[in-house]
Order: sequence, then structure tokens, then C-alpha cells
Amino acid sequence: MTNPVLQINHLQKKFGHFQALKDITFDVHPGEVFGFIGPNGAGKSTTIRVLLGIIRASGGDATIFGQNVWSDSVSIHQRLAYVPGDVYLWPNLTGGEIIDLLLKMNGTTHSTKTDDLIKKFGLDPTKKARTYSKGNRQKVALIAAFSQDANFYIFDEPTSGLDPLNERIFQEAVLDLKARGKAVLLSSHILSEVERMCDRIGIIREGQIIETGSLAEMRHLTRTMVTVTLGDDFDVTTLAGTHGVTAGQHPHEWQFSVEDAQLSAVMNALAQHQVITLQSTPPTLEDLFMHYYTGKE
Amino acid sequence: MSRYGRTGQLIRLNLRRDRFRILMWIILLAALMTSVAWKFEGIYGTQSEIAAIKGTLASPGIVAMFGAFSFTGKVTTAEIFANEMLLFMALIQVVMNLALSVHATRYEEDLGITELVRAHAVGTAAPLAAAAVELVLINGFLGILYSLGLTAANMPGATIEGNWLIGLGLASTGLLFGVLGLLTAQLADHSSSATGLAYSLFGLSYLARMITDVQHPRLTWWSPLGWIEKLAPYNHPNWAPIWLSLLLALVLAELAVLANSHRDLGAGAITTRPGRRNASVFLRGPVSLIWRRQRNVIIGWIVGIIIFGIAYGTVFNTIADILKTNPTMQQVFGTAMVHEANHKVLLSFTSLLAIVMAAVAVIPGIQLILKLHSDETRGWLEALYARPLSRTRLLFSYVGTAFVTSTLAYIGGLAGIVVMGDASLKHVQDGISASEFWQGVWAQLPEIWVFLALSVLLVGCWPRLKAFSWFYLALGFISVYMGSLLKLPDWVKNLAPSGWMPRVPQHDVNWTTFSWMVALALVLVIIGWIGYRRRDLHMS
Repeated sequence: MTNPVLQINHLQKKFGHFQALKDITFDVHPGEVFGFIGPNGAGKSTTIRVLLGIIRASGGDATIFGQNVWSDSVSIHQRLAYVPGDVYLWPNLTGGEIIDLLLKMNGTTHSTKTDDLIKKFGLDPTKKARTYSKGNRQKVALIAAFSQDANFYIFDEPTSGLDPLNERIFQEAVLDLKARGKAVLLSSHILSEVERMCDRIGIIREGQIIETGSLAEMRHLTRTMVTVTLGDDFDVTTLAGTHGVTAGQHPHEWQFSVEDAQLSAVMNALAQHQVITLQSTPPTLEDLFMHYYTGKE
Repeated sequence: MSRYGRTGQLIRLNLRRDRFRILMWIILLAALMTSVAWKFEGIYGTQSEIAAIKGTLASPGIVAMFGAFSFTGKVTTAEIFANEMLLFMALIQVVMNLALSVHATRYEEDLGITELVRAHAVGTAAPLAAAAVELVLINGFLGILYSLGLTAANMPGATIEGNWLIGLGLASTGLLFGVLGLLTAQLADHSSSATGLAYSLFGLSYLARMITDVQHPRLTWWSPLGWIEKLAPYNHPNWAPIWLSLLLALVLAELAVLANSHRDLGAGAITTRPGRRNASVFLRGPVSLIWRRQRNVIIGWIVGIIIFGIAYGTVFNTIADILKTNPTMQQVFGTAMVHEANHKVLLSFTSLLAIVMAAVAVIPGIQLILKLHSDETRGWLEALYARPLSRTRLLFSYVGTAFVTSTLAYIGGLAGIVVMGDASLKHVQDGISASEFWQGVWAQLPEIWVFLALSVLLVGCWPRLKAFSWFYLALGFISVYMGSLLKLPDWVKNLAPSGWMPRVPQHDVNWTTFSWMVALALVLVIIGWIGYRRRDLHMS
């Protein structure tokens, strides 16, 4: 296993009496896209700001490239790219000027890649930033980040203002980074995006990481949804190992969920009652998310 | 739905939204006016005191700052009061009106709030009309407070008519410039451009009244800001300026409505043009970024202050003519003495203006330093902060630009006075010499730096208290602008750095004071820097 790019150990942050971050621990490795999900106010952006050295941790530690995020921030930022969730741009500069300026401050310059990205995202770089919509402001930040040759990329809800076409371009660009062995931390609300791109996921709730792992690993923690149509009058509510049984819209149709450990026993029992159709769906990330947040299925 | 539908509801909303700033302005202005009036009999109560100040008020330097007034017959305490306070109060009231008017219209539009409001069953001109009514209410209320306050203070020589003339005169001048702000807010397509345009016109009116006051007071009628001087409330009460102000305000309001109905939401006649596709080679770091963003403001301030300096300089010739008021002097004392006396007058005039120039030159510097914090809270620094850029470099980019701007603005302004002044003189030897000029420069720079250093300290350590910078500068400015005329005690003048250095070039620079003031500025900057490196940044 390679050395992790980002290492966070029991990170804490207090604002006065308010404990914004209680216990954050996770790693991100090269060539990996790490999804960081959680509802508003759970502490995603606060974590990212600690990582950028904008605010100072009150406990625990965090390192990027093995360097301390607070005291070595300048040298870390040489090899880091960041796109904030709400992009604010200097209103009287044009998008083109801002992209170039941001690149220069990282010691790189406007390249053909930058031009490609401007074209792909469909940005008009001659407009003043005050006239840009939210999506266009995000494009400016994304173009600057993708044309930079960094080793670690942090995206904080980068696609909230983009249309589906641009969202697709974003996803392709991130997968390209991954293929080139870069590490990516992606905080997002768009769970389908996270599901499609992320190798591992960390779920945060009220300042605490409550689960990390790959989607496959997490699925084991929850139940498989089953929809079945039987050939006789068997009442599935009496069957052991099933949860949340409801009768379907059609006669003899049932819906319920089963824990993985009970799955084969339940299937054997059902097989006694002439299974006509059977559909099983693994939990989606959305189901997982709801599971962790509401405690319901 | 008519064009003015639901204006009433919007007025209530505006008043609620602005309640704190309105309250603050009203308390500040009414308290200033009433407390000075209250104290005035103690300052200029006796005939000998009045006679002494009467001469001072007639001197060109004071006329340039306070306006020209004619005294006839027996001068009363109230007349002196009107002379000293009218223009000064009008200036503050205009600043208040410009801030409120642009804030209530174009700024709301920039934020997208107007869009939200207009999506409801609200008339197209209702937000504008509501802002106009808000201004009428605030100015009117303030005017009534002034009049009642003056009546209560009951200065010797004050009349009921004069009191109301002052109150309503200030209210109508304030309203006029407030409506001007509404108009520029319709013409420009974002709030900072609207504010800039309004302030340019305000500055132009001030310059026009200053030059005409010193040379041909009759022509001051051509400047709307000069009308306030023509009220002559306690000697020849004249209501014409009020009618003129209200009439012009009405015309400007009509133009604003016209402009409003001919434009789209978010657009303006003066539009933001597209710009460069790529950054210039020059734009590459935090300093050049500040320059690129703020160059218009920085250049505007420096050029503006130089123009003010030049305008003040043009009156040198009028001031340095003692023979005009004292024709026998040459025969009695000889030519050399006359030149010496002229030189003395110019020195004292320049010393007074140097302090005012210094206070004005501090403003853009404080703005730049406080911008470091407002950029931080607006999220504009977030993009910068993710770059390999230390906080030290970021802080000193802003602070350095601020110090250079204020320093250049001050030197430019003083140079404007001296160069133009000397050029206008018939006898150059009467004028300010180069060494006296540099003395004037060195004497005021530490004061400027201390004010700026205080802002650095606040932004670095206690950014929530940053408004204190303005309060402190206002204290310093009022204590030097009004200090000697109001006979403020020395401890009040010494509260702010503007009072710490003796008046130069009238006196020599005190190098001990100079050294410890510079040291103080340095210490404040260093503490602010340490604080800025340690604290959390606040992002929206």
C-alpha cells in the first residue's frame, strides 16, 4: 500500500462552545477518489477548511503529503488544487484573467489544456465575473483546478450549479485524474455522482465520521430489498428473518427487506410457495444515507 | 397593478431593514448639531469673542473650508454658529444620504433581493419610490430634530425662522444628494460604480463652491452644495435655496424614474464591458491583484486629493495679499516686512490644510486594509488561500498597498497646494519653500501611519471591531477641522494622532514625536500581523 496523501486522525474543531468537529478520522490514497458525504451543517466544509489551513484544528492532527496542514500550508498548496462550494470571484476581473492569475500563483501558466477546458465547459472568458451565474463561477474555479498539475484535489460540492452536460464533463475529468494516480477528495450532495465515481466513502454526521469504506463494504451493513410474487396465499409477515413486510399492489405480491445473513434461509422458505417473479435490489447509496441519518430503512 | 403598487409595504420593509443604520446616523447628527448649539454661547457669548472669530471666519483659508458669509451690523452668537456649522453638517448629511440611497436601490439589486421582491405583485417603480420616500422621511425627521434642538438651545440671536431654515435647509440639501444617489444607481449597473459616480458629482459641487466662495461668492449659486450657505438664517433669512434644492431633487427623481422604466432589472445605461480573454503579464500575485481590482479607486483618490490640493493652491494669491486689507502697512514697515507677513499667513494656511489633507489621505488606506477582512468574509480570499501563499504575504500585500496609497495621496495633495499656490503668487519668495514642504510631509506621515496601523491591528486581531477605525478617524478629523473653532480642550485634540504633532510647516517637525509615532505604528502593525497569522479566517 502506498503512503496516504491525506491522513486525518481524531480531528476536532471548536467554535467557542460549539463543537463543530468531534472526531474525524480518514485517509485518502493516491489514485483514489474519496467521497465525503453528509447533510448540511454536518462539518464537511469545516473539515475542508481545516485541511486548507484556513482555520486551525483544536485537537487531533491532519497531514497532507506528510506535512502539517496548519504550519506547512504554503508548501502543501504548491501541489494542491481546490474548488470551493460557493465560488466568489473578484467582480471586476474577467473569468479569463482570474483563471490565469490563479494558475500563475501556483507557478504554472495558461496552457492548451486550459483552452480545451474553457471550450469543453463552454465558458466565455471575456465576461466580467460580476455578470457570471453560479454555474459559470464554478466553471472558472474548475477550469483553474483541472489545468493545474497537482497531486491532491479537493472539491467541495463542485457541481451544484452545473447543468447535466457540464456535470458529465466534470466526472470525466475526475476519472482522468484518478487514472493518472492523483488523489481526490470529493464532498458532494449528489449521491449518484459519488456512487459512480468514488472508490471509498466517508459519511459524516454531527461532526463525526460514522462510517468509512467502499460502497460494497457498506452494503453488507444494510439489507437487500426484495419484491416477490408467490403462487399461493402464503403470508410473508409470518416468515422469520424479514423486515418491513408490506403487501404489493398485485395479489400475492410482497415487498420486504432481508439482512444478508438471513438471505438463503428466506429464499429456501419462499421456494416452497411457487415463486413466480422475484426482484432483489442492493441498497443504493441513497438508501444507505437515509439509513445512517434517519435510522430507518 | 400600477407601477407604484405596494410601495407602502416596501417603505415599511426598508425602514425595518435599515433601522440600525438610520438610528445611528440620526443620533450622531442630531447630537452633534444640538450639543454644539448648546455649548456655543459659552464659546462665543461675548462681543469680544465674536469680534475675534469674525476676523478668522473672513480669512480665505476658513472661507475655503466653511464657505463665505456676509456679516452686516451687530454679529450675534447664532450667526457665528450658522457660519461654522452649516456646510460642515451638510457634508456629513450628504455622505449619509449617498450611503443610504445606493444601499437601498442598486446594492439590493446586486444582491438579487430586488429580483425576489419584483417577482411578487409589486410595481416596477415601487422599490425606487420606496427608497425615495425613505429618504424624505429620514431627512425630514432629522430636519425637524435640528430645528427643535436649536430652538431648545436658544442661542443669543437665534430666531424661530432661522432655526427652521437651518433644519429644513439641511434636510433639503441632504435629500437632493440622496436623490442624486438614486439617479446614479439607475444609471450605473452595479453599486460601487453608482457610489463612485455620485461621489464624483458631490466632489465637483464641493470644488465649485470652494473656488467661487474664495473668489466670487455670488457665483456659489451655481453649486447645489453652495445653496446651503445662502440661507443666511439669522441675518437675512432666505427660503429660496430650499425651494431650489427641492425643485432640483424633484427633477432628478423624475429622471431616475424615467431611467428606471427604460431599463431591465440588473442593467444600467453605463454597462460593464467585456474584458480581456487572458490576464496581462503584469497580473501575477496578490499585490497586482489588489491593484487590478482597486486601481480605479486608488488612482481616483490620489488624483482627487491632488485636484483638491491644486484648488486650495489657487487661493494663495488672494490670501497672501495683506496689503489689500492693510494698505498702509508697506509705508510703515517696509516691503520686506510685508513679504514676511504674507509668508506667515501662507504657512498657517498650509499647516491647517495639511492636517485636513492627511485625514482625507488616510481614508483610502483604511479602506484597503479593511478590505482584507471584507474579502475574507465574502469568500474572495478562499480561492487565494488555497494557493501557495502565506498569510504574511497576503496581509502585507494589502497593508503595503494601503500605506503607499495614503502616503502618495498625502504628498500629492500637499504638493498640489504648494506647487499651484507658489505658481499663483506674484512674489515667489512669499510662498512655501521646498524645505518647508518636506517638513510638512514628514510631520503628517506618522499620523497617517498610526491611523493605518490601528486598522491593521484590528483586522489582524479583532476584525469585528474594525468599524472603530472609522470612528477614530472621524474623531481625529472633527477635532482638527472643528477643534480650534469650537475651542475643544487639548485632551480631546490629543485623543487622536492628528493632535500629537505641532502644526507644521508653521512650526518645525518635532523629531522625538516623529520617532515614537513611527515606532507606535510599527508595533501596532507587528501585533496585527501576529494576530492575523494565528486566527481562524471567517468564510461565509
